[in-house]
Amino acid sequence: MKHSPALARLIDALHALPGIGPKTAQRMAFRLLQDGREGARELSSAITGALGAVGRCTRCRMLTEGELCLVCASPQRDSALLCVVESPADVVAVEASASFRGRYFVLMGHLSPLDGIGPEQLGLAQFEQLLVAGEVREVILATNPTVEGEATAHFLSGLAQKHGLRATRIAHGVPIGGELEYVDGGTLAHALQGRQSVF
Amino acid sequence: MTGAVSQVALTPGYLLHHQAWRDSGRVLEVLTQDHGRLSLFARGVRGPKSKLAGILQPFAPLLLSWRGRGDAPLLIGAEPDPQAGGAGMGLPPACILSGYYLSELVITLTARHDPQPDIFAHYHRALLALKQGAQLERELRLFEKRLLDALGYGIDSGTAADGAGIDADKYYHYRPADGLHEAVADSSGGILGATLQSLAQERLDDPLSLEQSRVVLRVALGQCLEGRTLKTRKVARSLWQMRQSA
Repeated sequence: MKHSPALARLIDALHALPGIGPKTAQRMAFRLLQDGREGARELSSAITGALGAVGRCTRCRMLTEGELCLVCASPQRDSALLCVVESPADVVAVEASASFRGRYFVLMGHLSPLDGIGPEQLGLAQFEQLLVAGEVREVILATNPTVEGEATAHFLSGLAQKHGLRATRIAHGVPIGGELEYVDGGTLAHALQGRQSVF
Repeated sequence: MTGAVSQVALTPGYLLHHQAWRDSGRVLEVLTQDHGRLSLFARGVRGPKSKLAGILQPFAPLLLSWRGRGDAPLLIGAEPDPQAGGAGMGLPPACILSGYYLSELVITLTARHDPQPDIFAHYHRALLALKQGAQLERELRLFEKRLLDALGYGIDSGTAADGAGIDADKYYHYRPADGLHEAVADSSGGILGATLQSLAQERLDDPLSLEQSRVVLRVALGQCLEGRTLKTRKVARSLWQMRQSA
């Protein structure tokens, strides 16, 4: 069935969201316009407000409303440790682990030479300024364990080396509670390469 | 490749490039031994539950299976190629950018659905050499040379444009339109005959022949590229400048 233009536009906009298929988008649109009109106004207002207010942290590029994000603004965080991640979702994941008290740098992507994504798109000049500023002692490379993530980590480690800083890569291996039998060969090979002495 | 439903099982191939498609899928650009370069739609290959996410990585020799109608069929299986031997290792991080350069040359200079087993073999051979620690510049030049030969744009290093043989001690200029011309002995940009012979014999075992080969191959590739720029070259230049800056 063909929808009216405004309804079709709303369905298309919802369909563009991750995890939302065409049927779910249609169901959401009907719900918003049938008996969820108050919620729809609130959603519309929230999106407009966020679009106007949320920018990027001037230090780490994390999404934030102020000049600095909460992590960068906190005096409790250890400025000597700089964890480099690909996306804001990665910051949230590391923060949820409650295992890191340093600061972040968010690349908003990874090196992707075939797409023309290089140092300019990843804000690496800004990253280098952080290294030059003198507070950072260790750069923790937490890019994804993909070929693109490895290429990015390799280049960033070279920059850290250029400035005389320690660069470390997060470990890749068998998940806690996992069983070797079900782990793929590549992960298992990494786990064996990165084995540690137990005494 | 239009109309009829095609089904291919476990054919050797490499993933050249991939882009996100819908929520959990990818559009893959692959180079296969027997079916040339083609696009494949791959459903459900992203995310924590995907068994193929770790397998579908660039530079890894794969056995690919697909089925479908039209120009971009659906991937139905992928597994590491057990016959690939040393090629099964990952590309060392320092060589990844070079690997992407090889991939971009293949993507840019080959047609889809045109089986080119020679080009597949050259790509496989170059990746294997890089994985085994071969000298990076030399392998890139050799791949460029072999690719140009396979595409029919190879440099005729045996004869100059005037029909004379190539003298190892003389200098030459290369013009894509009509080949090699003898240059004045110390003219700038001239390529030593010995370099052309080294390139033809795929030796390239000294710095001078490597550097001069880079120049002459750049000219020959430029003809094939017809004004198109390579993104990997641009990114590599930016990275190099950043690494070198004080």
